[in-house]
Amino acid sequence: MTINNYLKKGRLFLLSSVLALFYLVSCQKQPTVTFGSTYVGDNNGANIVVVDTGTVNMFTVFVDTTATAGTGYLQVGNFDDPYLGKISTRAFLQIAPPSSPTVGVNDHFDSLGMILLFKKSNPFYGDSTVTQTIVVNQVDTLYELPAFSSGFNSRSSLSIDPSQLGSTSVEILPNIPYTSQGAGDTVRIRLADTLGLQLYQMIYNQSDTILNSTKWLKWFHGLCISPGASSTGAISGFQDSAIMRIYYHKAGVYSVPAFIDFNITNRTYQFNNITKTQPVGYPLHNLILATQNPQIPPATPSSATVNAGYVQTMNGLNVKLTFPYLNDIAKRPDYLSVLRAELTVRPDLKSFNTSRPLPPQIEVYATDLNNLIGSPITGSAGVQTGNLVVDFLHPLNMVYTYDVTTFVKAQIVNTDPNAKLNGLMLSMPSPSGTTSFARAVLADATYPVNQRVTLSVYYISLYPHN
Amino acid sequence: MYTNPVITMKKLSVFITLLSITSLGAMAQNNASPYSQLGIGDLEDGFYNRTSGLANTGIAYRSNRYLINNNPASFSALTDQYFTVETGIRGSIVNYYGTPVSPSSNQSGDITFRKLIMGIKLSKHWGSSIGLVPFSTQNYEFNVPYYLQGSASEIANHYYQGHGSVNKAYWANSYEFFHHLSIGIDAGYLFGQLDQKDILQNPSTGASLTSTTNTVDLNNLFINYGLQLYGKLGKKWDYSLGATFSNKTDLFASTNRVVLASDSSTLQNQELSQTYLTLPTTFGVGVSLTHKQKYTFLADFKHQDWDAVQNKNTYPGKDYTLGNSNKGSFGFEISKKKTFYNNKVELSYFQTGVYYGTTYLQINGQQIKDKGVTIGFGVNSLKSPLAYSIVFQYGIKGTQANNLIQERYANFTFVVNYGSLWFTKGKKYD
Repeated sequence: MTINNYLKKGRLFLLSSVLALFYLVSCQKQPTVTFGSTYVGDNNGANIVVVDTGTVNMFTVFVDTTATAGTGYLQVGNFDDPYLGKISTRAFLQIAPPSSPTVGVNDHFDSLGMILLFKKSNPFYGDSTVTQTIVVNQVDTLYELPAFSSGFNSRSSLSIDPSQLGSTSVEILPNIPYTSQGAGDTVRIRLADTLGLQLYQMIYNQSDTILNSTKWLKWFHGLCISPGASSTGAISGFQDSAIMRIYYHKAGVYSVPAFIDFNITNRTYQFNNITKTQPVGYPLHNLILATQNPQIPPATPSSATVNAGYVQTMNGLNVKLTFPYLNDIAKRPDYLSVLRAELTVRPDLKSFNTSRPLPPQIEVYATDLNNLIGSPITGSAGVQTGNLVVDFLHPLNMVYTYDVTTFVKAQIVNTDPNAKLNGLMLSMPSPSGTTSFARAVLADATYPVNQRVTLSVYYISLYPHN
Repeated sequence: MYTNPVITMKKLSVFITLLSITSLGAMAQNNASPYSQLGIGDLEDGFYNRTSGLANTGIAYRSNRYLINNNPASFSALTDQYFTVETGIRGSIVNYYGTPVSPSSNQSGDITFRKLIMGIKLSKHWGSSIGLVPFSTQNYEFNVPYYLQGSASEIANHYYQGHGSVNKAYWANSYEFFHHLSIGIDAGYLFGQLDQKDILQNPSTGASLTSTTNTVDLNNLFINYGLQLYGKLGKKWDYSLGATFSNKTDLFASTNRVVLASDSSTLQNQELSQTYLTLPTTFGVGVSLTHKQKYTFLADFKHQDWDAVQNKNTYPGKDYTLGNSNKGSFGFEISKKKTFYNNKVELSYFQTGVYYGTTYLQINGQQIKDKGVTIGFGVNSLKSPLAYSIVFQYGIKGTQANNLIQERYANFTFVVNYGSLWFTKGKKYD
């Protein structure tokens, strides 16, 4: 063997060994190591800082009129709320006779009644053990919109005949549902026979007033269903399929009971009139009311309303939150970017119970210096309604939470002089905003830390290095 | 011993260039070492040469064939006109123990290229060597559950990840005086890159919330001095005394920091002003005694004065401090030689060694200790210019006390040496 052959073999071996091993170099794995939380870095990398102590100003924004027409429910009841004051609501509606009603010469009138239906999902607020008195009156003026008005609302009202057509006292068990009258979910009110006989005769005579709906509405106007003056403790939302019914007997070999229904008509004209008073001693006594029309909805600071904000959208109450020093966070030397922001709204623990439940949904919207409800603040799942979990055993867990990252990201760098008036509006979404009297008393920043409204801003922090 | 008339300088340079390029990447990868997050990582204390089987005990070691880069003064011991190339590869398996380690995932393994060096005896008393060797390595991945600043209840997971290495390209020269004294100087250039990531994760989903990546480029000159004094003690014993010294050295670093948001958008991309780490003053002393050119006993002691540079080095972790590092090692070697034409030629050798030392890290009040044993076996081929050695090393680093991590490692080192005589003016030995 020559020297060259030795060398070639040697070089070949050396090269192949080294190259083969280089391929193996990549074969490695890492152990799973978790150090304890006591490890503290030297801030060499970015961290996440939580700021949940920023100032949150709370206001109750009052809108004196709310949409209560055509909501699908006849809201009737009185409720004395220890926070919001005395609330009363009554329903106005129009009814119409059936087309071409007839009664025979030997038929005879029995009675006139009002039928109200309460379904399980209907709104109910208050104490279900309280007996409520429901009164029916006839509207004694034309059932029409006021001048320059586009629709009925919570402040709309029509003159009614002071003499009652009828009334009843009934206990409504909303969750079954069942009424103390023993007719399932139906509330029956006996109305005046004089009106019943009059209508019966008009049908018998085939009066134009019965046959022509325009004449009928101008003559009959409508009905008002209201709570009895002494009735308090609950508000019931009846179906808008209320019926006024004439009961009579058809003559024959055997007399047969029969009825003629006057069904609700012009449902968009059905509206609920809401009145409220906040006497001295009620937290909302100092609520700032609008003094001009039109006017920016006034915002009452929580300090004037017993350190709380109030949401009862149907009653015109929404809560505005502002964060006047939010953009100071962006001025911190370590601030890089907002990671996320979470708003936690906590109701006053004493303010709710099973009779005065919290609104299951409160939506969050953007607002500005005009105190109007703006665009919804959406989270990853879209529109946010607070994710309230009902847990009366742990009431501290009953909070509304919102992802307000998009709002905070924009607001934290907003240097507009009016930026401090931008904020978030809490309001009940439709349909509960127009049908439910559930309300939330929201604790402001004076409450203990774990019971108050909190904006938690999570920002990415990096301390400057030279 | 053979000359090499076939391998030209050109071929050799191509081979070495390729190997060097490949090795730069390969050296960067190594086993996980959780505490290598600090500074420039784990300082390399292995030489992957003839002394590997002696627990790297070789400050006083001299060899006429092998490159003993433990001490730059040793290169003058090379045979006249001798040229040699040496490379080393290490396979390693590490088991990790301690509370922070998941029992289901506590092992790491790798194979890494460790060095490529060359040496030549330029004149009767002047030996020279150039090479590329690892100086430190960094490779860690671990999790730290961490309370968000400003919150006493919300936790994010810091997933720390770091990879990289600092390597040393050196040119070392040594000169022999009076046949008993050799002085050497190793002029090195340290360079390397460390990629360090700190990823904040949602602890429940693992999704990244933000991440910081520091890419640290390091470089500076690093000088190491060596001295060896050697001779005979009677007819049967040879002795050698050695010492090494390197002064404290600032290691310059420029850092590029990139901070990403959860959607991977860039929040910051910043070149940080130059800063540095400071390597401490280091000295080592060693002794070697050889009986009848067959049995060699060696001992080394090394000291790194980290206390003196503590205020110049900042490290993460409130429970981390620096401490002086000391290491002692002993080695024993049996060399099997055969006489050819009145020359003794080594055929093979067997080595063993032990070592014990403290590293420069003090964590949770515990200074990390490193101890272990080595066994090596080497063969010098008579039919080729190659020599091989295989070394097994078992060691234990750290402790499980005070919530620390202990590493138990087994290393297999394979060193290949190529050598030939140059500038022989036609003289051949075949």
